[in-house]
This record gives sequence, structure tokens and C-alpha cells, in this order.
Amino acid sequence: MSEEKIIDLKDEDELRQGRRDFLKHVCTSSAAALVLTTTPSEAVDSASNPDADATVAEYFQGHFLLMSEEEKLKAIARLEKRYSAKYMKKTTVANTPAPDGVLFGYALDIGKCIGCRRCVHACVKENNQSRNDPEVQWIQVMKMPKGNIAFTADQLDKGYPEKSEFGDYGVQVGGNAYKTAGLSTEDAQNYYNDELVPDKDFFYMPVQCQQCEKPPCVKACPVRATFRDHAGVVLIDYNWCIGCRMCQLACPYHARRFNWGEPNLPAEEMNPKTHYFGNRPRMRGVMEKCTFCAQRTREGRNPACQEACPVGARKFGNLLDPNSDVRQVLATKRVFRFKEEAGTYPKFFYYIG
Amino acid sequence: MEVNSRRSFFKKAAAAVGMVAAAGATKTLISASSTSSDEASKKYAADIVSQEKAVTGNQLILMSDAEKKQRLDELLNCHYQELA
Repeated sequence: MSEEKIIDLKDEDELRQGRRDFLKHVCTSSAAALVLTTTPSEAVDSASNPDADATVAEYFQGHFLLMSEEEKLKAIARLEKRYSAKYMKKTTVANTPAPDGVLFGYALDIGKCIGCRRCVHACVKENNQSRNDPEVQWIQVMKMPKGNIAFTADQLDKGYPEKSEFGDYGVQVGGNAYKTAGLSTEDAQNYYNDELVPDKDFFYMPVQCQQCEKPPCVKACPVRATFRDHAGVVLIDYNWCIGCRMCQLACPYHARRFNWGEPNLPAEEMNPKTHYFGNRPRMRGVMEKCTFCAQRTREGRNPACQEACPVGARKFGNLLDPNSDVRQVLATKRVFRFKEEAGTYPKFFYYIG
Repeated sequence: MEVNSRRSFFKKAAAAVGMVAAAGATKTLISASSTSSDEASKKYAADIVSQEKAVTGNQLILMSDAEKKQRLDELLNCHYQELA
């Protein structure tokens, strides 16, 4: 073997050695960089318990609905570990599927509501919403002058096609054709602070997500982080949400709330029984809204707001069941619809008993 | 030998700097830009104002029996179509 060849082989060996070293250094330095670039606020949390931090795996997890069963279990275990560490209590994150043969609907009796806002507070408590600065509320109660209601129900089904040279068809001219039969939310007060409710000259109308059958928010979401389950409830995968707020703009009822800051949820007030798509604690930069208390209703219970109502103004049930409370309301009560509802088919009905 | 080790040192140093920068940028992207609490409060307040505007301009109309039936039929049809 010539001397030149021996030198070549030596070089090749060194080159191989150098490549291995290079890869080693790359791995070490990237791992070091990830540790070093942890933000200070996270560092404070992790000082007490490193499990309280969101892991890289959580940041990069896929859409929950598209995960395999194994991935779902892993994602849930990650969240349970993190929440338990962060809130210092054993926290469960359920993945109960939506029940089959059910289409959830809600009905609210405007005539009965006394504006006590117990539903609002029960909702905040149940759904782990930010408690202060600001308190995020999914239900907004409006206080409106009684003069805003005007209708004569007996004339509703009256009306006849106008006679014309083209035939007996056309617009309805009888009944409520020429005057508003319903209620208007003009001059409503959203943030009243009465010592005693109800105020005799006012009525109250709580507004929350209308759980539309054709939800514009779902259509607007560019990443399908918000979707409607087969029980008719519109939900959000908080980990998949990119915080673009398109859904908020699309919602005609302004029922969605965006977390501009890190939600402020004290550990002692945190509800540890959560659902992945329901009341698990949210993070900064994601959207949230009423889920009809997914963590409850998917297990056959009623939403917290319905349970909290002291006057029984709220009815919740299965629209597919003709004997359910909601269907009974639709069949027997005076039910309202939004004048401009943009073809969204809300499943939240307002009525007067 | 000396040349080789110097070259490999520079290589390692450049790779390390590059990786640190890339990892830092990734982490920044993941964490998103931080918003001060004042700014966040202003944005929450602006959201509340737009919500108020949206919910106070509504009219609700009483549905006739025919409308109620139609509404229910539409909802159920929509639901069964989705399931199918």
C-alpha cells in the first residue's frame, strides 16, 4: 500500500469521527437551548413544580379528534399531570364521547327569569373561567324595560295572502304582519348592579352560545379547532386553536370569549372534574365559550346554569325526544326566534310560559 | 492535525450557535409575543363593548305554530342528514 493511500484512509476515519462529534454537539446544544430559552414566567411556575409547565409534546400535539386512542390517552395523561401539579389537586380530564341518539336543546323562560345571575356565577365556577382581571363570563344577562315586549299572540296564526291581479298569494298582511310581535333588546343594560332583583319595570334575558345547528363559527375556523359534535354542541379543541379570532367575528351572538391574557384561576377555586372539550383550564391566546357543560351533559347530567336557576326558568333536554322539556316548550309555549338569525338554526330558544 | 481540529472546532461552534438560535426562535414562536396586563385589559374591554353592541341591537319575533313546527323539522332534518 502506498503512503498516499494510508493517509487517505486516515483522513476518512477522522472525517467519520468528526461527523459523529458534530451530531453529538448538535443534539446537546439543541437540548441546552430549549432549557435555556424557557420564559421567566414559566420558570417561576416550574420552580415550584416542573410538572406544572406545558410540555413540548403538548405544544406539538395534533387535533384531538384525529388522534389514535393511544395518542388521546397520552395527551390526557399529560394534561392531568400538568393540571394536578399546577392546581395542587388531583385533576381528571375526561374524554367521554357525546351520547348517541341525542340532539341537545335549551329553552329559557324570559317571563320567569329574575336576573339574579346565579346561572352566570354557577357557570364561572363550574367551567374554570378566569376569576378576576377580568372575570370571563360565558353568560351575559340583559336587563330590559318591559316596554320592549309587544305582541298579541292570538293574532299570530292569522293572516291571508293579499288579493292581486296575479292571484291569491304573496305577503302575509294580517296578524302580526305590520307590527313587531316580539321583543327588542334596545336600551338593554348588560352590567346592572341592583341590590334587589327582579326590578318590577324590567325583564331579564340571559344570552349565551346558541349552539347553532349550522354554526358560522365552525365555518370560519381555518384549522377546524372548533367543530360541532353529533349531539349538536359546538366545541373547541383548545390545544389546536391558533387564536385567530375568526370564529368570534363570525358569531352573530358574540358568545365567544378570547383569552387575551393568562386566565386567572386560583387553585382553591379550580373545579378538578374536567373534560377535554369542556371545562379544563384554558391558556392565553385561545377562544372559549359555553359547551352546555360538556363534562356534565356527556355523562347524563344537566348544565350547571340550569341546576343553579332558582325559579326554573331554564329547560334542557333532547330535541329528538318528543317528551323532553325542550320539545314540550316548543309544542306548548310562545317561543321567540331572532329576527336576523342568518340561517344558523340556533338550538337555544327563548319563550314565555 | 492542528488544521483539522481548528476546522472541527469552528464547525462545532457554528453549529452550536445556529442550533441555539433556531431553538430560541422556535420557543419564541411557541410562547407567542407576551401581552402586558394593561394591554390585555384594554383588549378585554374592547371585546365587551363589541359584545354589548351586538346583543343590544337584536329583535326577537314570536313564532307561530307553523313556524315552530318548521323550525323543529329543519333542526331534525339537519341533524339526521349530518348523521347520514
